[in-house]
Amino acid sequence: MDVSIRMISAASTVFWILLVGFFASAVYSVKDLHLSLGEPRLSLTTDGHAIISIPINIENMGYYNLGSFNIATKVADLNGAKITEGSTSVPIVERGSKITVLHNLTFSTSVLSESCIHYLFNDSSFMVTAKISLKLAETIPVQALSNFTVPWGAPFYNFQLGQPTIEPVNFTHLEITVPISFENHAPIDINGEISLYMYNSEAILVGRGESKIAAPQGNLYTGSILLYVQSSEILEKGAFEVYFSTQFMSYGPLVIPYDFGG
Amino acid sequence: MTLEDKNARSLTKRFVFNALKALVKSFVFYMLYLFVLSFFVQFEGYVPGLRQTLESFVIVYISLGVFRDIVSDTFFQYFFDVAKALFVICYLILALNGGIVNLTYMDVALTVDLRLFLMAAILLSLLGLARAILQAINCANKKVELTFSYEF
Repeated sequence: MDVSIRMISAASTVFWILLVGFFASAVYSVKDLHLSLGEPRLSLTTDGHAIISIPINIENMGYYNLGSFNIATKVADLNGAKITEGSTSVPIVERGSKITVLHNLTFSTSVLSESCIHYLFNDSSFMVTAKISLKLAETIPVQALSNFTVPWGAPFYNFQLGQPTIEPVNFTHLEITVPISFENHAPIDINGEISLYMYNSEAILVGRGESKIAAPQGNLYTGSILLYVQSSEILEKGAFEVYFSTQFMSYGPLVIPYDFGG
Repeated sequence: MTLEDKNARSLTKRFVFNALKALVKSFVFYMLYLFVLSFFVQFEGYVPGLRQTLESFVIVYISLGVFRDIVSDTFFQYFFDVAKALFVICYLILALNGGIVNLTYMDVALTVDLRLFLMAAILLSLLGLARAILQAINCANKKVELTFSYEF
């Protein structure tokens, strides 16, 4: 019996040393694990989707491989309504390796224009929920969860139609020039077209015009749209309907009333 | 020198030897603790109360070890062995919150799943518990054998 007890003692001691040594070195390895985010890139697909690709650099200089690395993000508006979500997985990050993976978030432009009108014209922020999960030494599951807000600059911030100027073209038609202005606060350049439809107070289409726009990010855009209208149809009051068409979204109409009498 | 004096002297010698053994073992264990702690010390900011938790474990564990060594060569040492094994099991379950450790650091909620580690540690503690019980049985067995051999 003495021998068997001694064997149990020895085995127990050896396994304790192995267990504590493995656990301590696995936890200690965390200090040599570095995660960093690269510069996000925006790309557009032919089917009308905008993809934001965020490069994630993973540097594992610890003693063990990392298993089941996964990063999942969910972007929501300030009311908590989901806009998009994405997930990126790496089965194994070998020890001593440095890899870069692209975390893609796909935005449907229709979703943007339907539920996020606020974001087209107002600076705001998005709620981002990020969850990173991995297995230290391929055995110890660790999960980190964080909520943060990301500031958003509106592409058509402070969009305004200026005071229209009316010039007679002939006895029957008028030329109306409508100044437009906005500031592009978005992180991308805006290229596209703005169409303007003019309706009188009887909801009759009086005239229409469009203008190409090119607004570099962070800049104020000013321009104008010309409309030719029949002088008999124009009334004191009515409304402009503005349609926006850019490389990543289409939106309209934005109804802005006018009052030539006032 | 009478037989009683000799016995008293031998008991004192044994006590001093056991106490010295306990002191050396405690010192070695404490050095081991400091060595392991040096790995974890940089995580103190992330895990509130890490040092206190580890220190309270070490104090109780060393105390049980000292008592066990002082009463070694008696039947009571096995009680302390069992107490040590049970203490490790209970402590690990309580300190590791059943294996799921939740931490918060700078708005980041961290969840570490240590159930596998906990299971392995509990199994090893149970092995230690079984060893202590086996040793107790073995000791009792030997005493009975000795009594029988004296009687015969």
